[in-house]
Amino acid sequence: MSAIDGYLHAIIVRAIQEAREDGSATIEAHHLLLAIAADNEATTHRILTTAGLDRRAVRDALDWEFEHSLRAVGVSPAACALPRPSPVSGQPKIGASARLALERSFASVRRKKELRPAHLLLGILQAQVGTVPRALALAAVDQDQLVNRVQQALSSEDA
Amino acid sequence: MPAVESPVPQDPADALAAVAALRRLADQLEDAAVEQAMRAGWGWPQVAEALGVTRQAVHKKHAKRLIAAGVELRRRSDVRN
Repeated sequence: MSAIDGYLHAIIVRAIQEAREDGSATIEAHHLLLAIAADNEATTHRILTTAGLDRRAVRDALDWEFEHSLRAVGVSPAACALPRPSPVSGQPKIGASARLALERSFASVRRKKELRPAHLLLGILQAQVGTVPRALALAAVDQDQLVNRVQQALSSEDA
Repeated sequence: MPAVESPVPQDPADALAAVAALRRLADQLEDAAVEQAMRAGWGWPQVAEALGVTRQAVHKKHAKRLIAAGVELRRRSDVRN
């Protein structure tokens, strides 16, 4: 197994855990982002922490996005306070947004063996709409700047 | 008229995000409510009828999770009516 296979495996395993904690039957792009933020891989860790995005900050931004989106239609999530359900027991499947993020990551390299951890982050950050861009905007994170930093890091690794 | 006015947001991004968030909230609410009902001794047919879905659908969606959580599920022979 190559280094990138090991990394992808670790991220997917962590994303499954994040999806379960979320009570989600699918792994979405924001679960991949949480997994990357929780990982110690040098390049992605440096880029995310420079933007103030550790796992906790990403989680807070996502929770804020959820509440913000509900409030836009007059719903307060606190108004539906029921006991927290038991976690999902089955294996969450890859959801549409995670699939798109992975496709974009793979599309950014010519061959799979060129894939590096930062490409996965780049694939997630290429989304222009959806939960991740909205959460980043609410957390006052400049997504374009983040994308530039990832691309710079990738090209300096190439040099 | 609803008690609280909740107009469709002007920005399509906000309106679409609200749909995604409401679906997620409905899923969370369903997980919690089904678990609460089953812990209170409801049977699958009652839960399914209350949700307006088939018994097979509600069973397929929730049985594994509730068994893993140790919820005692009523067997068909326990149904009284």
